[in-house]
Amino acid sequence: MRKKKHILFIAPGFILYTIFIILPIFYVFYLSVFEWSGLGEMKFVGLENFKTLIFNDRVAPTMFNALKNNLKYLLCVWLIITPFQYLIAYLLYIKIPAFKYIKFMIFMPYVISSTIVSFFATLLFSPNIGFLNKFFEWIGHSEWQSAWFGDPNRAFKLMIILIIWQGAGSGIMIFYSNLMDISQDIMESCRIDGCNEWQRFFRILLPLSLPSCASIITMSTIWALAIFDMPFILGGINGGVNGCLDFANMVFYRYTFGSGLNGKSNLGFGASICVLMFVVMLVVTVLQNKFLSKFEYDT
Amino acid sequence: MKRRRSGEILSPTARTARGVLAAILIVYTFTTVFVIGITLLDSLKTKGDLVSNFVGLPKAISFDSYKKILFEGDFINYFKNSIILTVGGTVGCTFLAALTAYGISRYDFKGKSFLTAYFLIGMMVPVQVSVLPLFLILKKIGLLNKLPGMILVYMAGISMACFVFQKFFRTIPVELEESARLDGAGDFTIFFCIIIPVCKPVIATMALITAIQEWNDFYMPMVLLGSKNVKSLTLAIYQYISQFTRYMSESMAAVIITLIPVIILYFLFSSQIVEGLTGGAVKG
Repeated sequence: MRKKKHILFIAPGFILYTIFIILPIFYVFYLSVFEWSGLGEMKFVGLENFKTLIFNDRVAPTMFNALKNNLKYLLCVWLIITPFQYLIAYLLYIKIPAFKYIKFMIFMPYVISSTIVSFFATLLFSPNIGFLNKFFEWIGHSEWQSAWFGDPNRAFKLMIILIIWQGAGSGIMIFYSNLMDISQDIMESCRIDGCNEWQRFFRILLPLSLPSCASIITMSTIWALAIFDMPFILGGINGGVNGCLDFANMVFYRYTFGSGLNGKSNLGFGASICVLMFVVMLVVTVLQNKFLSKFEYDT
Repeated sequence: MKRRRSGEILSPTARTARGVLAAILIVYTFTTVFVIGITLLDSLKTKGDLVSNFVGLPKAISFDSYKKILFEGDFINYFKNSIILTVGGTVGCTFLAALTAYGISRYDFKGKSFLTAYFLIGMMVPVQVSVLPLFLILKKIGLLNKLPGMILVYMAGISMACFVFQKFFRTIPVELEESARLDGAGDFTIFFCIIIPVCKPVIATMALITAIQEWNDFYMPMVLLGSKNVKSLTLAIYQYISQFTRYMSESMAAVIITLIPVIILYFLFSSQIVEGLTGGAVKG
């Protein structure tokens, strides 16, 4: 008889998972209502940390600037990165010339660490020794030279390009495999009915593959709101010139593991930033899924 | 299966458009070749050569930068740490996920759907939100700044693998287990001698993806592995980048050494990696 044995299978995973994945989520909420330096007594302060976060005239501008950057990046995910991924997936789907090579190469940066991607960015964009500035000098267009990541007008755009270069591959592959899953019968009948390529794209492929893409869009939204590695390495701990590469997570890192609030470290304050991030994620994800579900229809 | 819509006739404009788009994308993919190529060439230059001749072929091939990082300094130690973290984390996580997924998908019990959902939460909450509590928990149990602590955290991240395995285990016919049971095999014998061998491909795929993610991980080691002797490779590279002009040649060699394992894995198993990513959690 198969009785009770499942507990033996599930227990080890359940225990570790609960301690290191689930417990921290509750713990961070709990911490956020305390003032605590990490040592000594924890002082209950209610919503004081959140008040500081939203109204303190030193912290609030930084926080809102970071959140603004997060949302700006999220907009880029929705309006630039995702459509780009879908377009490439479609091009692979219609088998443009050399699509196998393109598929192989376009996904490759996905296995490269963001530290190394940032290293490559330094090679190309470093103002003094970077390849691009050297190249512009060589072809006689020194006026095209730029500080790149040191230039607040360009840093954000460059980072988006880097993220596309590194991370677009996974989304492309998921969209591609969703397109491949569309039944060949449908494609066949639409060919017989004589629909042209535009009609096929907008009336058949897009509506049929979009619902299954909802989860990938949700995931990229969550990751967009948690971005850290690339801006941290490229812009430094303070988020680049004028905070143009500052994100919520970096503010959290600065206040928790870095300099701390007003010079003294308060883990509760760090936790309150996490809670705020969590809430923003939740709200955005719920709104987004409401929006995406409008496109869903029964097949 | 033949995917090509056979007999389809493309108009000349459509064909040109496709050709042009393909050409653009091919040029785009050259950036990857270009940056890796430059790094590789630069890593073979002597320091003097590198400063004067940043892009371009080395005057003479020299392995100075490799010798320097491999035999001086702590780089070799970081390499060892990264290997321990990746192997420990991957084996532990995959094994744990397989156990859990088997328990959930092959047994009937109360709270089954709750558990399925429970194990999905980890996929929806990024680790960035919970890193501070993780820091405190590890500190409490004395595993902060220690490799085993980091490995435990990696092992706990079973959400995605568990989800994929559950889906896969459900496709295995029950008869396979029934007949083994009649032959007197216990639950764990069945799991280790029947289920694991049958599922080798999917387990290998998930292990591959997990290994690559852990090898490349930057954020968690940075927060949870603060002291010098437990640093991982990505942290070492970050250190080099932050003092780039000083460590130029070392960083080139360090990047190449860090890249080699993942690039080899990618060349060998690119289709499995893609499959694991698309067939898994995020689809459907």
